[in-house]
Amino acid sequence: MWKIGSGIFLGWTLGANDSANIFGTGVTTGTIRYRTAIWLTALFVMAGAVVEGPKCMQTLGELSRLIPLEAFCVALAAGVTMAVLTVLALPASASQAIVGAILGAGVLAGTADFSRLYRIVACWVFTPICALALGYLLYRGLAWMLDRTVRRLTYRNFIYLGGILVAGCYGAYSLGSNNVANVTGVYVGAGLLSARTAAVIGGLSIALGALTYSRRVMMTVGKGIVPLDPFSALVVVLAQAMTLHLFTQVGVPVSSSQAVVGAVVGVGLMGDVRTISVRMLLKIAMGWIGTPLSAGLMAVALILGVDAAAPLWGQHVGPLLERLGITEAIFVAVQFYGGWLRSVMDALGW
Amino acid sequence: MSFGKFFSRGRKEQQVTERMADHIDLLCEACAIFHQCLVSEDRRLARKVPDMEREADVIRREIVSTIYAGAFLPYLRPDLCRFVSLVDEVFDLLQETANIFVYRTVPESLKGECIRVALLNLRMCELLRITYGAMLEGADLKEKKLGLRIYEKKIDDIKYGLLRDMMEIEVDNFWQGRLLGEFIDNLTGISDKIEDASDHLDVLNVSMR
Repeated sequence: MWKIGSGIFLGWTLGANDSANIFGTGVTTGTIRYRTAIWLTALFVMAGAVVEGPKCMQTLGELSRLIPLEAFCVALAAGVTMAVLTVLALPASASQAIVGAILGAGVLAGTADFSRLYRIVACWVFTPICALALGYLLYRGLAWMLDRTVRRLTYRNFIYLGGILVAGCYGAYSLGSNNVANVTGVYVGAGLLSARTAAVIGGLSIALGALTYSRRVMMTVGKGIVPLDPFSALVVVLAQAMTLHLFTQVGVPVSSSQAVVGAVVGVGLMGDVRTISVRMLLKIAMGWIGTPLSAGLMAVALILGVDAAAPLWGQHVGPLLERLGITEAIFVAVQFYGGWLRSVMDALGW
Repeated sequence: MSFGKFFSRGRKEQQVTERMADHIDLLCEACAIFHQCLVSEDRRLARKVPDMEREADVIRREIVSTIYAGAFLPYLRPDLCRFVSLVDEVFDLLQETANIFVYRTVPESLKGECIRVALLNLRMCELLRITYGAMLEGADLKEKKLGLRIYEKKIDDIKYGLLRDMMEIEVDNFWQGRLLGEFIDNLTGISDKIEDASDHLDVLNVSMR
């Protein structure tokens, strides 16, 4: 069971990075306390992962048939690629990294199914476009509605405050439901975990990332979009959440960061079309090719490396881990927690 | 933000908006008293203005501390505080004008125009109060702002006449002349500050749209 460790690492980085897209503006402007934001993110990411997470897992599993060790390498490659690209300040998306890594491993094993890739790439391209359209339409629609119903300053203040909270919770839910497949989806395809258990483990790891290491990213991202007024910030988070939720129904994990960029441009269109920067569009397009390619190469290198080190592993490290029984203990605890969560959800009728 | 604040349903915000209205009401009252004291030349009335300025300071501090204790979205807080401090600047100028009036008699040739300016200042304050109410309701402020600009233009026109007439007045010493110059400057400068405050109401109105 130690093989799921790389997925937990990937989930942790995803939680630390992407939770900033949800409450970043709220936290840096002081609208929401950091502690409240991370607990709400963790709670709703978990709920999204458990309730709707399995919907996207099948898509990733269909890309290649992987054995458990390859699944470990794939998640590790995606995690390392994410970390390296983030350090190099290049756009990184977990969805694109994991797909590239799966295909890299699949090419090596001769099981890659590229026919499924068209649907996934189409969804990547449509993510910012969909978020842009939603951002624009939501801005127009909500502004029209608010101008006719809520004009008083104090009421508007209350609406924006509540809206940022509700949209943030919905954003966290959508992030959990859409991106949990990136974290533990490969283990479902490799037959290592059931979809439900994978959703619980993935949700927990994303929540852990948000709870332990999201402050710095949240401050950086939040400060970058501070010039947005409260209404625009609310629309951006709502548009991003709706985009992710929409692609969850399609069954394809997509990039939450690119959805945020699309939503910001959509809101910016209300004021001035010049908010669209060609450089930013190029960066996104570069991510569609660069991220999967780097992750694919990384996965290939890792699998080849593991294959070379397999004899050493089989003789020494593997038996030692088995003897210690640590990974089994973690797995039993996660299964217990998952079972408990399922019973709570059954009791609530979800 | 804590959940407590969310569920308080804007009680603090209500408190802030009410105190801001009190602040402007007090300014209107102070302008009315100052106009009255110019008409009646009752210097005891002019001494009331500094007392009102101190009361306004207390209200300003209360508003600012309530805002930074969590009322309103952080995005809006600096603009609200700026508006309150602009109203406070009007108070300061009015207080200085009233203090000078206690020690320096306004010459008969300037008195009529000074009373006109004081009355226009009062009307501007009343219009500022109406504009503030409209801003709270999210109404369009264009007409109110136009009204304030017209008043301000009128005062500017009077100011140049006052300066021309002032130059023909003989003074006993330097300080008499200086006090008179400052009195006219302050009296005619109040309208500029009121206009600045009304401009900021427009900023607040737009930023919540």
